[in-house]
Amino acid sequence: MDILHNVFYGFSIVLEPINILYCFIGVLIGTLVGVLPGIGPTATISLLLPITFKVTPVSAMIMLAGIYYGSQYGGSTTSILVNIPGEASSVITCLDGYQMARKGRAGPALGISAFGSFIGGTLAVVGLMLIAPPLASISLKFGPPEFFSLMCLGLTLLAYLASGSLVRAFMMGAFGIIIGCIGQDPFTGLPRFTFGVPDLLDGVGLVPIVMGLFGISEVFLNIEKGSGERKIFETKIKGLLPNLQDWKDSFKPILRGTFLGFSLGIIPGGGPTIASFTSYALEKKFSKHPEKFGAGAIEGVAGPETANNAASGGAFIPLLTLGIPPNVVMAVFLGALMICGVTPGPLLIQKNPDIFWGVVVSMYVGNVMLVILNLPLIGLWVQVLKIPYRILFPLILFFCLIGAYSLNNSTFDLGIMLLFGVLGYLMRKYHYEGAPFMLAYVVGPMLEFSLRQSLLMSEGSFFIFFYRPIACGAMILIFLVLISSLFPVIKKKRKAISMEEEKT
Amino acid sequence: MKFHGYIGNIFWLAVGFSVSFIAYKRLGFGTFQEPGSGFIFILTGSLLIILSLIDLLEAFLKKVEHKAPIWSALRWQKVILVLIGLSLYILFYNLMGFTFSSFFLMLFLFKMVEPTRWWIAIAISLIIILASHVIFGLWLKIHFPKGLLGI
Repeated sequence: MDILHNVFYGFSIVLEPINILYCFIGVLIGTLVGVLPGIGPTATISLLLPITFKVTPVSAMIMLAGIYYGSQYGGSTTSILVNIPGEASSVITCLDGYQMARKGRAGPALGISAFGSFIGGTLAVVGLMLIAPPLASISLKFGPPEFFSLMCLGLTLLAYLASGSLVRAFMMGAFGIIIGCIGQDPFTGLPRFTFGVPDLLDGVGLVPIVMGLFGISEVFLNIEKGSGERKIFETKIKGLLPNLQDWKDSFKPILRGTFLGFSLGIIPGGGPTIASFTSYALEKKFSKHPEKFGAGAIEGVAGPETANNAASGGAFIPLLTLGIPPNVVMAVFLGALMICGVTPGPLLIQKNPDIFWGVVVSMYVGNVMLVILNLPLIGLWVQVLKIPYRILFPLILFFCLIGAYSLNNSTFDLGIMLLFGVLGYLMRKYHYEGAPFMLAYVVGPMLEFSLRQSLLMSEGSFFIFFYRPIACGAMILIFLVLISSLFPVIKKKRKAISMEEEKT
Repeated sequence: MKFHGYIGNIFWLAVGFSVSFIAYKRLGFGTFQEPGSGFIFILTGSLLIILSLIDLLEAFLKKVEHKAPIWSALRWQKVILVLIGLSLYILFYNLMGFTFSSFFLMLFLFKMVEPTRWWIAIAISLIIILASHVIFGLWLKIHFPKGLLGI
């Protein structure tokens, strides 16, 4: 009954006209950035962080969440029609979605992708509602050792699931912690690695780093490759509603995709991209006709598209209940909540029920909006896709510059953004992952704080992480994950996935 | 390819050493009972050193694989051009003001990297700058520098 009461409370917040408007703006912008290759939800949310100063925290969060799950919807459109994924999580949709379009079935592909996303997204919200409150109550009992071990587990899983070298992923994690801890010591107030620069006393800003690492570096790579003109599949998109056979073929993949995506969304490092890849592999395994995969099988669209949306819902659980972001977008979200003066974690549901239930219920409303928005407006998105990259990239760079400047009105932040843009560009060329760096940067200060507190509590003994059951469980999991990466079979698999991602 | 792998590792090795050294000298490690301000930096810096050495060793022992070229056959010169444009923009941002510096940056980006027609470049630059003034300046109340010309 409590849940029902809370859901109604959430609806009373979301259905305020101003919040409906922000939800709509969020999903509209989300779909747009999902459609446009070259700018993702991470950079867009960072760009719009100043909005948190102007509107109420609830409205701001509703809008920013809309951008995140909206981008998952939009990403599939480009995969199906142009064979260019708008988002990393839609890469796998290219395989069968584009083939369906070539066979004159672009309509059903887009339709099942929208419906699958809607079902996955909605069921994930139900899961979020059911799991988050009890988990938050349990996590109230957590102390510094538990938080430290869970953050270490999160970073380990993220590094493990990152494509490419595990050693390099950990290197990026270590570097992220170093950058994240720059600024005043939380215990003594001593400036650390500030080199006399006052702008660094509060640390290196989140937004300039995100903009540089994910916005500027992406533009640099695209400029380097040369954009070329995108060829859009010139066909009349008709019959967006999938037929009965399509539904029969897609029903089970959608259910499996929901469960898989939701579960992988919760795990740090999992997220929409891994969810869509895993769902595709799973559907191919379950299919009676695996040979059809890659040649236009609707299951290859339904499963991954459902999974990536369910994952974006699941990703809110660790952030809202433990205050630990499981992926980069959630890390930026954490930053947004902090700007609003809201501390994500076990007390969020108690102290700010309006934000928690408002954001959760807005996802229902947002998912409905997305179905309405995506199906009839596909023609419009196709037109958006025709904008040449030579027009698009100056705009992306310009908005990154405004985004980095706007939070502190500081040109120093612009310099930081450019520096991380170059660093991100080089990192991607030399196969160093940005995601472990970003997550470590965000959790770095919390990790340091809980480690030092734990050591103070235990008088210098690291056994404190093994005496307490939850902390010990997390440490054992870290150990198992690290050991498992040494097995030749898993090593081979990681290499294969990394090569596959490089190809796409 | 191997050479490029070494460069990356040497860079991170240097970062690890510098961070650990500076943290030890200026901030102090403290003790395990009472960790000091440099504690986390020394730990992560040392971890970075160890991991760089492992990666360096891996790169050294690995067979040379034929991979796509990192620099050749790519238009990295264009990236340098954009980088110069952005650096100059940041340098003159306060002096020239938001409107002027942004207009010139946009024109530079539209014309230098992949040439666009003049009227398109000018029209889009003006529209975007005007729109940013309205959204970010008027609505979100972000203070943009006016520069010497006061615009």
